[in-house]
Amino acid sequence: MKRLRIPLIARIGALVFATTGFYTYVGQMVPQNEVQPPEEIVVRADLTTSGMVEIGREIMDGKGLCLTCHTIGRTGALRFPDLEGVAVTAESRVPGLNAVEYFAQSMYEPDAFIVPGFNPGMPVINRNPIGLTDEEILCVIAYLQTLGGTPTVTLQTTHRYKGAPAPSSGGRP
Amino acid sequence: MTGRLGQSPGKNQKRASERERATHRKWLFVLGPVAALVMFAGTVQIASLLVSREYKAPYRAPAATVDETPRAEGLTAERADAESRARATPYVEAEYRTFPVVGSRVAIWAVAQLHLLFAAFVLAVPLFAFIIEAIGYKTGDLRYDRLAYEFTKLLSVSFSLTATFGAFLTFMLIILYPKFTNYLMSVFSPTFLPYVLLFFFEAFFLYAYYYGWGKFHPLVHLGLGLGLNVVGTAIMFIANAWLTFMTSPRGISDTGAVLSVMDAVTNFTWMPINVHRFIANVAFGGSVAAAYAAFKFLQAKTDEERAHYDWMGYIGNFVAIIAFLPLPFAGYWLAKEIYAYSQTLGLQMMGGAFSWLFIIQAVLIGNLFLAANYYLWLGMGRVEGVQPLQKFIKYLLIAIALSFMVWATPRSIIATVSEIRAMGGSAHPVLGFLGVMSAKNTAVNVLILTTFMSFLLYRRTGKVATVAWAKTGHAAQLTIFAAAALFVIFLGVYGYFVEATVRIRLSVPQVGSVLLAMASITAIDIFLFHGARKTGEVRWGRIPAISQYVLIFIAVTFTWLMGLMGYVRSGLRQHWHVYGVVRDTSADAFTPTLGFATQVVSVTVLLFFLLIGFVFWLSSLHERPDFDRSGIS
Repeated sequence: MKRLRIPLIARIGALVFATTGFYTYVGQMVPQNEVQPPEEIVVRADLTTSGMVEIGREIMDGKGLCLTCHTIGRTGALRFPDLEGVAVTAESRVPGLNAVEYFAQSMYEPDAFIVPGFNPGMPVINRNPIGLTDEEILCVIAYLQTLGGTPTVTLQTTHRYKGAPAPSSGGRP
Repeated sequence: MTGRLGQSPGKNQKRASERERATHRKWLFVLGPVAALVMFAGTVQIASLLVSREYKAPYRAPAATVDETPRAEGLTAERADAESRARATPYVEAEYRTFPVVGSRVAIWAVAQLHLLFAAFVLAVPLFAFIIEAIGYKTGDLRYDRLAYEFTKLLSVSFSLTATFGAFLTFMLIILYPKFTNYLMSVFSPTFLPYVLLFFFEAFFLYAYYYGWGKFHPLVHLGLGLGLNVVGTAIMFIANAWLTFMTSPRGISDTGAVLSVMDAVTNFTWMPINVHRFIANVAFGGSVAAAYAAFKFLQAKTDEERAHYDWMGYIGNFVAIIAFLPLPFAGYWLAKEIYAYSQTLGLQMMGGAFSWLFIIQAVLIGNLFLAANYYLWLGMGRVEGVQPLQKFIKYLLIAIALSFMVWATPRSIIATVSEIRAMGGSAHPVLGFLGVMSAKNTAVNVLILTTFMSFLLYRRTGKVATVAWAKTGHAAQLTIFAAAALFVIFLGVYGYFVEATVRIRLSVPQVGSVLLAMASITAIDIFLFHGARKTGEVRWGRIPAISQYVLIFIAVTFTWLMGLMGYVRSGLRQHWHVYGVVRDTSADAFTPTLGFATQVVSVTVLLFFLLIGFVFWLSSLHERPDFDRSGIS
């Protein structure tokens, strides 16, 4: 009986198809997350501190991208400081700055103080691509205060960066 | 039994079937006009469809025979009103337009990817054609000259397709993303004229190089090849400025106003991309050329043809793998520059939305290493007396498999809630340690060292070193190899016990030790095997057919890898056209799932292979005998 011989072009085609099919299959096996652009957050003028905490947590996980780098409650070899209990450490981290001022400095002027053992890497948060507003940053501070402490900030809280224009990027974020 | 004219019935049958085939062939001439008619009809149909969407006045008999009715007056007034409103509407520049069915982003993505794949091929092939031709000139071996010409034959059609896809991409950008394209044009307009001029030069050099084969003094021809490569590389550098600017803009104000075009060109990721693409193009071009040789090998009818295409496939693959080995280092530099430009961007890449993409990449690169090594091991069979070396293959295979497993281990594992609770987090208590960069850097360096060892083994097949210091030389090479491997592993483990500031810097000595080991072992090898005694001849063509499918597999994997990494480079910007400056407000501003991205990559890869198959077929027309006109009555 004559053996069926598959044409060469069909064999090569099958190989190309099977290879791309395999890689497509691998692509379906990893977690599937569709990342939407950050939604505009409305910070109402009458927002209470507890409402600010809620929005702050939302910003940290979304628009602010904070949790892409920072962890909460993780130990070991870390690339960026863990935020567990940060409300306590912030009180005395930089001499002369209270927790709110320290948090504000770390977001508006992140290279002013680098936590020992870590590299500079925090972007200026009120500038693009993150571009949080003064009110949104206050909400983030409210949430950070809950990590080991009690939130005290309100939308009326002032600090030296509030209302100042975002610094020029000089061509980089 | 013989026929009436003394011919056998078999011959008569053959003639009859030839006559029948000739009759059928006569009908083939209508194929072209029929295809043209079908295309024309299709074009008319599309045009009709578009036109039918406009308002058309109903047919009216000539005015002399029909009285104006109130309805006709009403319609006329309506038309006049619509026209005056249209005239009064001010011109508004469209920000986005939508591509039907797949959307604008996918349409641009596919066209850009196809353009890049052909461009990579067109830039890479001249590079190694030039090197091979130069080797042929230097050694006087005409085989090299023939090989370089064979590679070059693939160029002319590929060049046309690259240009066509480039024009297609430009039109698509203007149509679908007019505002953003206009912005890019305003920033980079000074680069356009040099780009077009270089493109003219590219065409001149390419066709002069191709058609001038054997027509000039070899050095003049080599000069044309050099010109082709210089111009091609310059074109790539200009185009790279446009796309890298989108990821790491520079030379503009916060609002996007141009401050310095030179700064915009020499942005943070420009040079790393130039270097990365240059090396990757060579690897990709080598692999596609090797796939072409594999295709021809499998088609070959004679031993001579098989020997030639086996050799061509070997050279193509050799070029691909040699270029592939330093590629992770170039990729590392690019990633480092991305981090230096913006930590946010870097962390999005490695720890955010794209982190799992690198697990897919690990599977691809692991496959490439496995396949490349397998091809080399199969190739050892070409040489007699290879058995003493084959016993080392199993150790190399174990090293590759282990490195592959480490590299493909993710940091966090997809698990159910109860499994995550049992593990104490999304990271596995043991395997989770393999998911961090310390482990992965170590794995990739060991993979590179192992593949390099496979090459060394292959080089040793059929040769015995005869220099007086041969034993010492072998021992020195082995010691360097072992020292480099141990140093890389030591630094990998050490990385778990130090702070981030120290750990990040450890990859540099890891890479440095591997490069140093490869350079020093190669240097020793050259002197060690100078004047070596041959123990067996290389029998080109004597290789299992499976090896040729391995070459095709490598080419497909390379192409797919380019598609995937092209996606991460571009997708990294997420909802920004120009990162941090020009925001994407279109419906496609979201980052799709990796599953969707891999589907798009696969479709473009299949389209590319369909088209490159067409290029191979066109190139093979050279070798076809001329049409036999004797049968035409």
